[in-house]
Amino acid sequence: MSRLPTRLPHEELAQTTAHGGLYLRRLIRSQLMLSVLTLIAFGGLVGSLPLALYLVPSLHDVRPLGVPLPLWLITVPPFPLLVAIGWLFTRRATALEDSFRELVEPPS
Amino acid sequence: MIALAAIAAVTSATVGLGLYGVRLARTTSDLFVASRAVTPWWNAAAISGEYLSAASFLGIAGLQMKLGAAALWLPLGFTGGYVALLLFVAAPLRRFGAYTISDFAEARLGSPRLRLLAASVVLLIAGFYLVPQLKGAGLTLGQVTGAPYWVGVIAVGMIVAGNVASGGMRGITYVQAFQYWTKTFAIALPACLLLIHLGGLPERAAMFGAELPQAGAQGLTVELDAAEPVTFPAETDYAVDGEPAHAESGEEVVLGPGTVTLPPGAVVPVAEGTTAQTGDEWSRPVSDSPRSSPVFVYSLLLATFLGTMGLPHILVRFYTSPDGPAARRTTVRVLGLLALFYGFPAIYGALGRVLVPELYLTGDTDSVVLALPEAAWPGLGGELLGALVAAGAFAAFLSTASGLMVTVAGTVSHDLRRRSPRDFGARRRRFRFAALAGVLPPIVLALVARGLDISVLVGWAFALAASTFCPLLLLGIWWERLTARGAAAGLMTGAVLASAGIFTGLAVEGTHPTVEAVLAQPAVLSVPVAFLVMVAVSLGDRRAARKADPHLLALHAPEGLAG
Repeated sequence: MSRLPTRLPHEELAQTTAHGGLYLRRLIRSQLMLSVLTLIAFGGLVGSLPLALYLVPSLHDVRPLGVPLPLWLITVPPFPLLVAIGWLFTRRATALEDSFRELVEPPS
Repeated sequence: MIALAAIAAVTSATVGLGLYGVRLARTTSDLFVASRAVTPWWNAAAISGEYLSAASFLGIAGLQMKLGAAALWLPLGFTGGYVALLLFVAAPLRRFGAYTISDFAEARLGSPRLRLLAASVVLLIAGFYLVPQLKGAGLTLGQVTGAPYWVGVIAVGMIVAGNVASGGMRGITYVQAFQYWTKTFAIALPACLLLIHLGGLPERAAMFGAELPQAGAQGLTVELDAAEPVTFPAETDYAVDGEPAHAESGEEVVLGPGTVTLPPGAVVPVAEGTTAQTGDEWSRPVSDSPRSSPVFVYSLLLATFLGTMGLPHILVRFYTSPDGPAARRTTVRVLGLLALFYGFPAIYGALGRVLVPELYLTGDTDSVVLALPEAAWPGLGGELLGALVAAGAFAAFLSTASGLMVTVAGTVSHDLRRRSPRDFGARRRRFRFAALAGVLPPIVLALVARGLDISVLVGWAFALAASTFCPLLLLGIWWERLTARGAAAGLMTGAVLASAGIFTGLAVEGTHPTVEAVLAQPAVLSVPVAFLVMVAVSLGDRRAARKADPHLLALHAPEGLAG
């Protein structure tokens, strides 16, 4: 039984189009850039939350609906934010792949 | 009785769907990954169903009740983990087209020995993760029927192993999707109805103010089956089997066995391992105590954020997506489904502090979700809601444990031997045997680990996954120069450091708060070190690096290119 992945024969791409390999590396780099940028945006928003709550303990005395603000902050807004970030990322990543496909495939 | 019937219903629905699925499983590909043709919504519900374990259903509320609001970082990290998966792993790994992490390791780096190492780490993580599921099962069955702890552990262990041995994953995809909705319904409906019934949050002083948890207006009566060492945080008059007694503030007393009664308004004594906190201390998500210090919180977030991608039972689900973009769409849906579920556990943790303070005395805070409905709503209403959460909790153990068992059985039967038998029947027999044998070690460990919190146990599985498979996947996918030797060194370093931290943390007490935080949740240290070792050893590896071009192509080239 072969355990090797089945999609390997896509090597053809690199050989048939002279610039295939170059384009592929460019695609990988731009995908990675997109991922890292998204990570920074996400990490900055969510990652600063513990520090902010630690440095500003007085937020605890603000109580919308009787519940301290820090509890609201960690249980409600981050979740829709995660979904939104994921959705935006998916759109961008798909767009990058589409433009790569146009680049590699000669118009027929 | 109603609760037992509800549990039986969820269990037989699971087993029934599993058995139905086995008729459809005809090839190895069916058996492992459901032939890769599941739509994003089904797949997302299945992933979420498999992911939401005892830790999410019982553990978050339990840990929140015990430690305080710091536990609420867990759901954020559990969900955030899918962002990391989406950004760096989902689409490329799906395109690469290997079945498991071990397959990926071997195919990407061309080393059968690395495959063995990866398979061992898979077993380690899956084992760490199975134990708390079985613990939750023992706890739930005990809460519902009064059966001893071991009955639930062994019963669920056997049911899951039997079901996996007979079903494979074809059935399980639909079973898991069904269980996501069961769990979400079972945690959401009681939470909403309880809030309406109580007219909002009661007694805010104990939750957010200066007070310690207290006995209610009727006083508190607790039956203790065994002697229980407790600490009284304040001077209290109490009675054991009707004999009056008195404890000074801070006094340690061994209570029971017998019936302990506290007068109305008395401060509730706390079991060993629990610290009495005022509402103000309890409701701070970050503070200076070791279990909610910034170091601990960040380490926890890091472990869950990076650990999710390394959970072997989750990753295999992505292969059921038809292509890379579908894998991404699935992940975004998972984020939404998890966000929906995680809105609710915090309500139980907060209400439990006021309505079932006896759990502080017994130390069984992990059962707060189960105990709350009946305590808050005496009568038929509470009983029905109690049955609903018990059924949801069982859905949680069954689904996660099934996913883990599929992984364990697949790894034992498929990865640990060099040669797989060619004939499908022999492979299937071996898979079945592996499922039945693989469940035994976790059962034994779960019987031993009764005193450990579900969320703490799961936290370790995440720390381990983040310190091993996260660097392997990230570097393997995005860095051409990774070598087999570098990957192996990093895997071993990460696994050893993370486990060493966890076990030292268990043995050592009362050190510096930061040291304690790092030992309790070692990811903040072990993850960067594992990355560094992997990179450094790969760069120093003088054997020519494998030509990575075809792999890069398989990982990153979009589908639908004319060859």
